[in-house]
Amino acid sequence: MYPFASLPENLAAFCAALRREDGFRIGPGELHDAARALDVVDLANERAVRHALRPILAGSADDVTVFDDAFTRFFFPGPAGVPQDQLPVTRREPGTDADGRDSDAERARHAPRWGADADDVSGRGSGPMIPIESSEGLEEPTIFAPSSYSPLDANASAAPELPRIEQAWCDAARLFVRRLHLGLSRRWRPASRGRRFDLRRTLRAGLQTGGEPLSARWLRRPRHAPRIVLLVDGSRSMSAYTRTALTIAVAVASATMRVEVFTFSTRLQRVTVDVRRAAAGELRRLDYLHHAWAGGTTIGACLRDFLRRFGERMVGRNTVVMIASDGLDVGVPDMLRDAMRELHRRSAGVVWLNPLLETKGYEPTAAGMSAARPHVTTFTSVSDQAGLARLSRMVRLRA
Amino acid sequence: MTDAAAIHDRFRERGFIVDEAFATALQIMLALEKPLLIEGPAGVGKTESAKVLAEVLGTELIRLQCYEGLDAMAALYEWNYPRQMLHARLSEAEGSSLDEREAYMFSEKFLLKRPLLDAITRDRSPVLLVDEVDRADEAFEAFLLEVLAEWQVTIPELGTIRARHKPHVILTSNRTRELSDALRRRCLFVWIPYPSLAQEIEILHARVPGLSERLAQQIVQVMQALRALPLHKAPGVAESLDWALALISLHREHLDAPTLERTLGCVLKVHEDRGVMQAHHAALDPILGDVPANLESGGYSLDTDFGFGSVSAPRR
Repeated sequence: MYPFASLPENLAAFCAALRREDGFRIGPGELHDAARALDVVDLANERAVRHALRPILAGSADDVTVFDDAFTRFFFPGPAGVPQDQLPVTRREPGTDADGRDSDAERARHAPRWGADADDVSGRGSGPMIPIESSEGLEEPTIFAPSSYSPLDANASAAPELPRIEQAWCDAARLFVRRLHLGLSRRWRPASRGRRFDLRRTLRAGLQTGGEPLSARWLRRPRHAPRIVLLVDGSRSMSAYTRTALTIAVAVASATMRVEVFTFSTRLQRVTVDVRRAAAGELRRLDYLHHAWAGGTTIGACLRDFLRRFGERMVGRNTVVMIASDGLDVGVPDMLRDAMRELHRRSAGVVWLNPLLETKGYEPTAAGMSAARPHVTTFTSVSDQAGLARLSRMVRLRA
Repeated sequence: MTDAAAIHDRFRERGFIVDEAFATALQIMLALEKPLLIEGPAGVGKTESAKVLAEVLGTELIRLQCYEGLDAMAALYEWNYPRQMLHARLSEAEGSSLDEREAYMFSEKFLLKRPLLDAITRDRSPVLLVDEVDRADEAFEAFLLEVLAEWQVTIPELGTIRARHKPHVILTSNRTRELSDALRRRCLFVWIPYPSLAQEIEILHARVPGLSERLAQQIVQVMQALRALPLHKAPGVAESLDWALALISLHREHLDAPTLERTLGCVLKVHEDRGVMQAHHAALDPILGDVPANLESGGYSLDTDFGFGSVSAPRR
């Protein structure tokens, strides 16, 4: 049975559950649309209702599968195949708001799950990110060395916090972003000095001088704004450099909104949102990356994963891909080579920041590094603000 | 045309197979008068669906193809300056008053309507297709939002033009960049996946008349197998249709390994994908190799000697 007696209440409760458990952003506007949509379709047909609500409540491709699971979980909270009228009655009276909400969440948690990945899905919205303030007394954010090592094992306590950055870093990042030349856009913009005469604005300005176009207006093509994708290696061999790499990430995020940040070791994790918030001054720790910190690295597999999941959307002709890694890879070099070739083909340039370059006598001869090297346009290391500012002069871009 | 089944049937008459989810989304879109954002892999019929919708509704299709550098002038309106200047010079000798002349100069006669303005000034609701909205830049997206939200356009010289009839808006995106949350919130969203086996066979029969059942079956099986491989560019439905037409024009009754090899250009558009396919030929072998098992009548025994594996082996 449905949790509430009437249709609007059920709909509102379903939307609230989506908001709470799956992090959907549903406002009164969506709720209103959903109610209107239910007017149109056959309410006795479960599939029709599902298909009608999905376009309104799910906003992106990722949301679609989450929505379907949540729909089943909410309206059919029982084992698959059991008709609804044979389920135990769970109907509540409206008005028991605070109480009802608790037990609602409880029920969702304890209901038997039959969706293949319902578990993965349900954790999505609750925000696995814990602000540092709230995790007091749990553990010190110090990095300690465990006594055993496995290339694919990792340790949660090594999770680094996103650093607060100094003004100097911000300035350096701004300089870096501004100096990335990617050629001119196809768009024409009004400008005081430009290459094309702007008849429309000239005539319009002429109105002020009695209809005679006295001052000419011009159009100019603005520069392409670069997009930056930063991939940070979080493996143990990188632990000394991770902080610098994350500092660069936060600094770049403070200079431009067109940045995406990922961390990887044996798996890939998107941390853009956390980095952006850190750039806004919030203190955050990358807590949920327990698989990602201080383990071994499979760079090739992670890069391939990145290309498969995000490549289409994030890597284009205006994208500068920056990889911060020492290239010590426990995966297959062939996979790394293919992924690097693909990245190089699609992007404006691939920058590899390798901390080992600071070591005297280092040669990139490790299997992974030598596989990747031919497809890297700029191979360097950055350890301080000046280095970041200098980097833009060294990056070779295809424009 | 009020329920999903009717939409499905009307689309089907025009050779476009919609699944239940998409049909319901169209129904909701028409009922709620909201824009519909369609995403999906390339070649699943996102653009085509807008064309068919216009046909089904018996209205016109107005298309705004987005590209980098698309600006308000190209999307909305522009004054026809050369014509205005010409008229100004020619009418200098006339005795009409300044106000009259000005009103004449900035009348609709001199207004070049671009797709967005065109769409809201029609007498009947047209279908407005904003194609590949991800190719336009973010600034244009913000501008588009304004039009989609208010359905009015303000032209300083002429005043505000309100939509007489809200157009049915379809936006498509290939996900070459992330669309803003604001745009997503304004729109209904539907994801069109690759069609299922049965659906794709239905599509082939609807679009390619004279296609034998077995050939359709084989084409679709190969396509579905290919889409499961880690290709750079997975083939879409458009490729299936091209391929079916190509095979018919080559007078093939069924698919075998040499034919596949020769017509591969219809399906795989990236050179490296050939290598990927050959590395995974085990997935395709059963489809091409099963020919005699499916075929009771015989007569094709010669072809069966060329299994896919036996042809590709010497190449490697």
